Amino acid sequence: MPIMNNVYRHTTAGKHLTDLADYEAAGGYVALKKALGMDSDDVLYQFHRSGLRGRGGAGFPMGRKASFLPKDSPHPSYVVCNGDESEPGTFKDREIIEFNPFQLLEGIVMAGYAVRSHQTYIYLRGEYEHQANVLRAALAQAKAAGYVGDNIAGSGYACNVTIYLGAGAYICGEETALLESLEGKRGQPRLKPPFPAVAGLYHSPTLINNVETLAALPPIIENGGDWYAAIGPEKSPGSKLFSISGHVMKPGNYEIVLGDTTLRELIFDIAGGLRPGRAFKTCWVGGSSVPVLTEEHLDTPLDYESLQGVGTFLGSGGCIVMDDSGCVVRASLRLAHFYRHESCGKCSPCREGTNWMEKILQRMVDGTGRMEDLELLDSLFGRISGKTLCPLADGAIAPIKSSIKYFRDDFVRVIENGSPRPEPMWEVAGV
Amino acid sequence: MSDALPTKPTMVTISINGKEVQAKPGTILVEAAAQAGIEIPIFCYEPRLGPPIGACRMCLVEVEGMRGLQTACSTPVAPDMVVHTNNEAAATAQDGVLELLLANHPLDCPVCDKGGECPLQDRTFKFGPGETRFVEPKRHFPKPLDLSTEVAIDRERCIACFRCIRFSQDVSEDGQLGFQERGAGTEVATFSGEPYESRFSGNIIDLCPVGALTSIPYRFVSRPWDVQNAPSVCGLCPVGCNTELTMREGETKRTTGRPNPNMTVEEGWLCDKGRWGYPAAWSADRILRPLVRDANGTMVETSLEAAVDAAARLIAASSATQILVGAASTVEDGFLAQELAAVLPNAAASRLGFPDSADLEPLRALPRAELSDIDTAGAVAVVGGDVTNRHPIVELRLRKLVRNRGALAMVGPRTSPLDARATFGARTAPGQLSSGLAVLAAALEGASAPLIIWDEADLANEPAAAAELARIATAAGARQIELAVDVNGRGLRALGLPCQTAPVAAGALVAVNADPLESPGAMAWADAIDGVGAIIAVATHRSAITERADVVLPTLMHHEVEGVLVSTTGRAQRLRPGSRGPREAAAAWELLIALSHRTGTPLPFRTPAQAFAAVAAARPPFAGLSYSVVGDEGAPTTHVAQSSAPQRSTDAVGDGIALVVTTEIFGDAVSWRSDALVSRRTPAHLVLAPQQAATLGLVQDQRARVSSPFGTCILPVVVDAQAPEGAAFVAMGPPASGTSALLAGEQVPVNVMIEVAE
Amino acid sequence: MTAADIKAHIDPIRHEYADGRSLVLPALKYAQTEQGWLPPEALAAVAEATGYSQAYVESVASFYDRLYLEPVGKRVVSVCITLSCMLRGSDELIEGMCEHLGVEHSHGAVTTPDGAITIQEAQCLGACDKAPCIQVDAENTIGPLGQSEANALLDELRAADRPRELWR
Ligand SMILES: Cc1cc2nc3c(=O)[nH]c(=O)nc-3n(C[C@H](O)[C@H](O)[C@H](O)COP(=O)(O)O)c2cc1C
Ligand code: SF4
Ligand code: FES
Repeated sequence: MPIMNNVYRHTTAGKHLTDLADYEAAGGYVALKKALGMDSDDVLYQFHRSGLRGRGGAGFPMGRKASFLPKDSPHPSYVVCNGDESEPGTFKDREIIEFNPFQLLEGIVMAGYAVRSHQTYIYLRGEYEHQANVLRAALAQAKAAGYVGDNIAGSGYACNVTIYLGAGAYICGEETALLESLEGKRGQPRLKPPFPAVAGLYHSPTLINNVETLAALPPIIENGGDWYAAIGPEKSPGSKLFSISGHVMKPGNYEIVLGDTTLRELIFDIAGGLRPGRAFKTCWVGGSSVPVLTEEHLDTPLDYESLQGVGTFLGSGGCIVMDDSGCVVRASLRLAHFYRHESCGKCSPCREGTNWMEKILQRMVDGTGRMEDLELLDSLFGRISGKTLCPLADGAIAPIKSSIKYFRDDFVRVIENGSPRPEPMWEVAGV
Repeated sequence: MSDALPTKPTMVTISINGKEVQAKPGTILVEAAAQAGIEIPIFCYEPRLGPPIGACRMCLVEVEGMRGLQTACSTPVAPDMVVHTNNEAAATAQDGVLELLLANHPLDCPVCDKGGECPLQDRTFKFGPGETRFVEPKRHFPKPLDLSTEVAIDRERCIACFRCIRFSQDVSEDGQLGFQERGAGTEVATFSGEPYESRFSGNIIDLCPVGALTSIPYRFVSRPWDVQNAPSVCGLCPVGCNTELTMREGETKRTTGRPNPNMTVEEGWLCDKGRWGYPAAWSADRILRPLVRDANGTMVETSLEAAVDAAARLIAASSATQILVGAASTVEDGFLAQELAAVLPNAAASRLGFPDSADLEPLRALPRAELSDIDTAGAVAVVGGDVTNRHPIVELRLRKLVRNRGALAMVGPRTSPLDARATFGARTAPGQLSSGLAVLAAALEGASAPLIIWDEADLANEPAAAAELARIATAAGARQIELAVDVNGRGLRALGLPCQTAPVAAGALVAVNADPLESPGAMAWADAIDGVGAIIAVATHRSAITERADVVLPTLMHHEVEGVLVSTTGRAQRLRPGSRGPREAAAAWELLIALSHRTGTPLPFRTPAQAFAAVAAARPPFAGLSYSVVGDEGAPTTHVAQSSAPQRSTDAVGDGIALVVTTEIFGDAVSWRSDALVSRRTPAHLVLAPQQAATLGLVQDQRARVSSPFGTCILPVVVDAQAPEGAAFVAMGPPASGTSALLAGEQVPVNVMIEVAE
Repeated sequence: MTAADIKAHIDPIRHEYADGRSLVLPALKYAQTEQGWLPPEALAAVAEATGYSQAYVESVASFYDRLYLEPVGKRVVSVCITLSCMLRGSDELIEGMCEHLGVEHSHGAVTTPDGAITIQEAQCLGACDKAPCIQVDAENTIGPLGQSEANALLDELRAADRPRELWR
C-alpha cells in the first residue's frame, strides 16, 4: 500500500512550495518550458495519452475534453480552473493551492497553451480568501519570473491568469453555474447543450478542469503521457489526493495510487483508523454526493471502476467516515439540509424536492415520522432523480437513498422513537 | 435561378406518440407536437423571452435513443426521431414535476384571480398528480403585496418559472425585477421593495402561468366563466397592438395581450397605457347622454333619437356642411362621412390630424416593412420621432434588434433611452435632420435586410432630409416603416380625406371624434368658429367643442366599437367591441348613417361590414380587403401614391428657439382619464438643456411662459443634461394643458419665446 | 463606499474580462469591506459603478451566502455544521459559543446585542480535516476547536477591531 509522492511536488518535497525558488528547486517549470517547445497539439496529445481523468467529481478524461474545443472558433478560447471545492468532505484543492500553488499555475498555463487560450481563470470558493492570497502571491512571483504573462519563458506564448472568488454557493462548483458566476450572474446551471467546450465562458470555447486535474499536468508533460498512464489501473490511471475526515484518527489529505489501495487501508492504515472501541458504520467515499458504503465494501480498491462496481463513485475523493456512534438518519438529515440550502432554485424538482426531503427527515429525527414516509421518500427520489437540470439533486438523493437501502432498520427505529441527541461525539485535542 | 441550387430537405419526419409528424428542421419538440395537435405541458418555455432555459422541467418527454428524459422545450427535432410524450416514463415525470410544484403552492384556487384560466390548474387537471402527499405546512408570505399600483404579487403562488424576470431583464430591459435568495427561498422582487415601474409592466401578468402576478384593476372583478373575450386592436396609438378584451355585463373589464399573439405586430406585448386605458370609459367627463341646446341656449339632455333629429334639422337648415373626422375614427367612420358629404348639398368631409405632404411620397413609395422585420434586420435607422413614448412597442422591437446583434442608428432631436443601445447615434438640432443622415448611411451600407423607420411629422417638416433619406434607403435597398402621428391617420388618408388645417366658416360643422379647439391651430379655429352656423359634436368625452356645440351625440371609444383601423405600418386591423358603451351612445358610423336617413338621403349601409365592403370597392388602398380577409390578424393595405398631396410650407414661424414636441406615453388624455393609471400620469412640461435653461434664467421646476405666434401656455421646467441645446422640448400633456395652442394647424415648424412666468 | 470608490477598485481589472458584468461580484465584495454588509445604498453604488440595474445587483448579491444584505456584527464567525464537522461535535460547539456570547442559537445568523459578533451556521468550509472548524470573516479556517478555545477566541475577537480589508 504505497503512498504515492510523484505527482504533487509538495508531497515529494516534504515542504510547502510557496516560494518560486523552492518550487523550481523541486523540479518546477521544467515541464512548462518543455511544453512550450512542443506543438500545442502534441501537448494536447500527451494529456490524452496520460488517461488522466477529471478530479472534480465526474471523472471525465481530461485530454478528451480538451480536444472538444473547436480549433476554428471565431471566439477566443478560455481555460477555467474549478477551485470551488465545496463538496462536503473535500479539501484537497485547498492543500494544492495553499502548499503548492505554482504547480497549479504551471498546469493551467500548460493547458492554456494546449487549447490556444490566452486568458485563464481560477475560480475559488469565496471562503478560500486565505488560499487566494497565497495564490495571488505566487501569481505575482510567476509573472515577475515570466511564467505568466506575455512571451512566457521566451516562447512568444502569452497567457494571463486571473483569480476570481465566489461568495459562498456550493452550486458554483457545477461547471456551468461556475461560468454564470464568473460572468457576474447568479450561479445557476445552464441548460446543456451547448457544452462549455463549445460555448462556455462569454459564449466562447472553454475548458473547465478541477484544481487537482490541472496540477497533475506538469509531471505528465515532464515524463510523458505514457508514464502517467502506466501508473495504476488502465482505466483509472495515476494518483489522486483523497481527503479523509469524520471519525478517523488522522484526518487529512493523502496522495495514493488509484487501484493500489483499498478503502480499508485508507481508513485504517493511512488515516489512523477509528477511535478505540468503535466499529465502522458507513462512509461517503467520494464526497457527500455519492451512495454510502458499508462494512462489506471495505476491501474495495479505490479507483473509478472498482467503486462503481460496488454502486458508488470515486467522486471528488472526499471520504467521510462514520463509526457506530453516529446515526445514519441524523447524518442523512444533515446532508438533506445541506442540499436544500445549496439548491440554486432554478429547476422545480430540485428546489421543491430537496426542501421536502429535509422536512420529511426532520420529522423522523423529531420522532414524528411515519412508516409510509420511507415509501414517500423512495417515490420522491424517483420523481427528482434524472429530472433535473444539473446533477446536484441526484447528489442529494444518492447518499440518502443508499442509507435507507443499507440501514433501513435504523430508519425504522428512528421513525418509531425519534433520534436521541447523541453524546458529544469527539474529544477535541485543541488548536 | 433557385432551381439550380441544391435543395436542402425542407422538412423532417418524426414520430410523436406513434403519429407521424412533419416539421421544419430546428423546430423545438414542443412546437412540433403542438402543430400535430399534441400538447406537451410547459411552464417556463416562452420563445418570446429568448432561448429556452429548461428550468421548470414540466416538459419532460422520452426520445428513443437518448439517455434519460429530455426537455421538449429545448430539444430540436431531428430526422426519424421517435418521441413519447405520454408513455409511462414521460407521464410519471410530468405527474411528478406537478406534484413537486404543488407541494408548496397554496390550494386556494377558489379565491385565486387566475382560477379558471390558470395553466397550473389546467395542467394539474390534465397531466396532474395522482396524489399530493405534502403534509407539512406550506410556506407563507404576507398575502398579496403591491408590486406596483397596477400589479399585485402573491409570492406563495410563485413557481419560479423565470418568465416575469426574463421579461423585465431581457425584453423590456428595465432591469427592475430579479429573483432574490436561492433554492426554496427564491422570490421575485424589485430593488429594496420599490414599486415596479415600467412602461410595459403589465405583460408580466399575462406571462405568469399561475396566480402570482395579477392585475390590481382587475382583481376580483370577474371569474373566467362569467366573461366573454373578444380579439380586438388597441386604438390608443398608431402601432395597433392586437388585444383581447374581456367583457362582463356589457363592460370591458380587462385588456390583455392576445393568447395567440400577432407576431407581425406586437408579439403579444402591450404597453401599460394600452392595457389600462379602458377605464377612461368611466371617467367623470365621459358623455353619457345626448345634449341639445334649447331656445335659452342651455344644453339639455334628451334621447338619442331626438338629438339625431335635432342635428339633422340643423344640417338641413344650413347652406353648407363640413364633416370633420378625428384621427381616432375608424375607416368606416371616415368613409361614411365622405358618403354623407356626397349626398348632402354643398357638403365636404375632411379629417383633423397631421397634414398630408407631397414631400413624403418618395419615402412612402419605398417597399414597406412590418414591425416583425425589425428583429431580423441587419441594421435599422430610426430618423426622428419618439418611439418610446409614441410608438412604445417599436421600442421593444428595437431592443430585440440589438439583442439579435443588429445595428441600430438613432438620428433626431429627441433623446431616447435607446440611445444607449444604439451603435450609431446623432442627436441633431431641430430642423437639422440632414446633418445626421451621413451617419445613418454608413450604418445601413452593406447590412442585410436594412430598414429605415421615419417619423411622419419630423420628415414632413424637413423635405430635404426626406428626399435624402429616400435616396439613402434606395441605395441601401432598405425597406421602410413610417411612424405615423395619428392613430388612424393612415387609414383616413387612404380614404382620400383631405386634411383640414383651418376652419371653413360656413354652415354646419359636424365634428366626429374631433376637437379642433384642442388641436394644433386651436386659436385660429376659436376665432373662426363663431362664424359657424351650427356645431354638431359626435364625441366620447367633454371637451372644448362639446361645450360650444348645439347638439352633442355621445359616441363610443375604440374598445366599444366595430370597425377597422390602419396601423402605422399600413395594416388594416379589426376592432371588435368589448363593451356596449353608455346606453345612450352610438358608434359614429351608426350616427352618420342615421343622419343620412334623417336628412332625407339614406345611405345604403346597415353595418360597418357593409361599409367596409364599399370602402374596399371604392378606395384602391383597400382593394381586395373585407372583414374576413382582415380576419383576426389584419391584412396590409396597399400604398397608392397621392398625387394631390399638397406641398407644405416648412419655414419655421415665429421668433425665439425651435419648438420640438412629443407626447409622453402617460401624458395624453386617456392616461389622465383612466383611474388605473393615476400614479403613472405625467403633466405637460418643458424640457431644456442646462445651458439653454441658464440663458433663459430658468431652473428645474420653475414655471415658464412659452409663446408662439399661435398661442401661449405656462409649463413647469425640467432641466435635462441629455437634451440638445438650442431647442425647447415640450411634452404635450392632456388637452387642458393648452399646449396644442402653440402649434399651427398646418403643423409647420414653430419657434417659441420663453420667459419666466411670474 | 461611493460608486467612484468602487469604480476605482474595478477599473484596473476590467481588461481581464470580456464582459463588464463579471465585475459585479468583485464590486459587491469590495463594497462590503467597509460596513461589513451591503445596505441598499451600497447595492445602488455597485449598480452605478458597474452599469447594471439595482434589482439585478441585489438579485446577484442575495444568491451568495457570504454577501450580507442584513447588518452583521463587527466580526462574523461561521461555524461549519456539515457532516464531517457534525460528526465531531459542531452542534455542541455552536451552541456553546452562543451560550458564551449570551445569544440564542438560531439556524441562520445571530448577532450579539452590542453588534460585536455575528455567529452563523455555515455549510462545509473545506476544512473537514480540522473538524469542528470555524472561520472568522474570510480568514483562514481554524480547527479542530474545543469549546474553551472557541470561547477564548470569541473573547479575543470582541476585544479586537475589525480588519478593514476582508474581501477582494
Ligand atoms: C453540484 C455540483 C458541484 C460540483 N462542485 C465541484 C467542485 O467544487 N469542484 C470541481 O472541480 N468540480 C465540481 N463539480 C464538477 C464540475 O461540474 C465539473 O465536472 C468539473 O469541474 C470538471 O473538472 P474535471 O474534469 O477536472 O473534474 C461539481 C458538480 C456538481 C454537479
Ligand atoms: S438540480 Fe438544483 S441546483 Fe441543479 S439546476 Fe436544478 S435547482 Fe439548481
Ligand atoms: S417548459 Fe421545458 S423546462 Fe420549462
